[in-house]
Amino acid sequence: MKSTSAIRRPLLARHARYRWDALRQQHQIVFPEGVLVLNESGAAITRHCDGRPIGELVAALENQFQDTPLEADVHAFLDRLFEKRLLTDAPEDPHTNPKR
Amino acid sequence: MSHPFALLAELTYRCPLKCPYCSNPLELRLERDELDTSAWRRVLTEAATLGVVQVHLSGGEPLVRRDLEELVAQGRSLGLYLHLITSGVGADERRLARLRDAGLDALQISLQDSRAAENDWLAGTPSFEQKCRAIEAARRLELPLTLNVVLHRHNLDRIDEVIDLAVDWNVDRLELAHVQYTGWAFRNRAALLPAREQVERAAALVDRARERLGRRPELLHVLPDYFQQFPKACLNGWGRVFMTVAPDGAVLPCQTAREIPGLEFPSVRDQSLHEIWFHAPVFERFRGTGWMPEPCRSCDRREIDFGGCRCQAFLLTGDARATDPVCHLSPVHHLVDEALRAAAEPREALNFRQYSPRTSSQH
Repeated sequence: MKSTSAIRRPLLARHARYRWDALRQQHQIVFPEGVLVLNESGAAITRHCDGRPIGELVAALENQFQDTPLEADVHAFLDRLFEKRLLTDAPEDPHTNPKR
Repeated sequence: MSHPFALLAELTYRCPLKCPYCSNPLELRLERDELDTSAWRRVLTEAATLGVVQVHLSGGEPLVRRDLEELVAQGRSLGLYLHLITSGVGADERRLARLRDAGLDALQISLQDSRAAENDWLAGTPSFEQKCRAIEAARRLELPLTLNVVLHRHNLDRIDEVIDLAVDWNVDRLELAHVQYTGWAFRNRAALLPAREQVERAAALVDRARERLGRRPELLHVLPDYFQQFPKACLNGWGRVFMTVAPDGAVLPCQTAREIPGLEFPSVRDQSLHEIWFHAPVFERFRGTGWMPEPCRSCDRREIDFGGCRCQAFLLTGDARATDPVCHLSPVHHLVDEALRAAAEPREALNFRQYSPRTSSQH
């Protein structure tokens, strides 16, 4: 089984959708059978799971948060999403598989 | 009190299929008024305001509603997650493409059996070919797809064939769900209950397939509660996260709640979903743990399984407050064992879903 260390271009699974729940004031990933509630950093990572290379994702987050040691946290979070089948690996050329 | 996460929108009871385990009411009247498009649009708006995140568009067969695309688009514009639950009949590629473009998030298509003849027998109508075409169309359109197969005595021994089909079609998820014995399924219980050996063999096959297949398709196996030690956490608690709006606008804590006599269901025609969720007596009836009798009341699982299924409790004991008799701690658990023994006797004929005769009091 593939682990995130092998995931090069994290992409939110097709059946999963990120949303902000204004009533509950929480970030969520919604899928057919459930809702995963995210904290702020989880939400920031999730919003970058658009098929870009993992290195770019980490760099973008570090730039956004002016904080350096993010890589391990990002991998741990992506591992959890992958385990829950909410994450896939995008093909090499992201233009061939745009997230709608 | 929490806000609901999920709404089951039963858009219609009309359906080309006649499955003998249908979750629709036994008293099915074709002529009962269905909510119109504007009423459903209002329901979706109220649901989103109330905190609903997911909408399961179901029926009956929701595709018989010509306004389905409009409702999907409306739901999507409200930020709702739209999940269509269909038999696949009527789901041709053009229709599915329109639904996808309107914002449909995910799709579930049912299959009654791995083989055409058996599928068509159980569905009560020729439908296997149409289902296959719908599944293939959904895959081509890259709609997230769950294949759902309801399991019982007549198809359980072909669970390996079902898994093979799901692999061939490359569906995202295969949901193998044993019949829940309420409604039509309760009426057909003696003809549907499998033997324990069947259940165990099928479970072993699913486990082996899961090891072999890895991540795709995801295999979800919902075990039959009659064979379990503890009841299902029905709806994750009555009036806690889930609500149903029936085709006529009745709001139900669960889609089979009409089986329980003496409950009054408010209508979206008269009240807002908010008012109903927070104040209707029927939602208060089994909410929380205060209503529970023993052995639930002092049980440390009372907030895990919430006392099990209220409809099942009523059907088996005549008392909707009772501990779900599938629980091994229920004082009348023997009722479940007796049902299993009775089902092992020569099988009874299936009663297929049908509409009640038209009566003059209906219009």
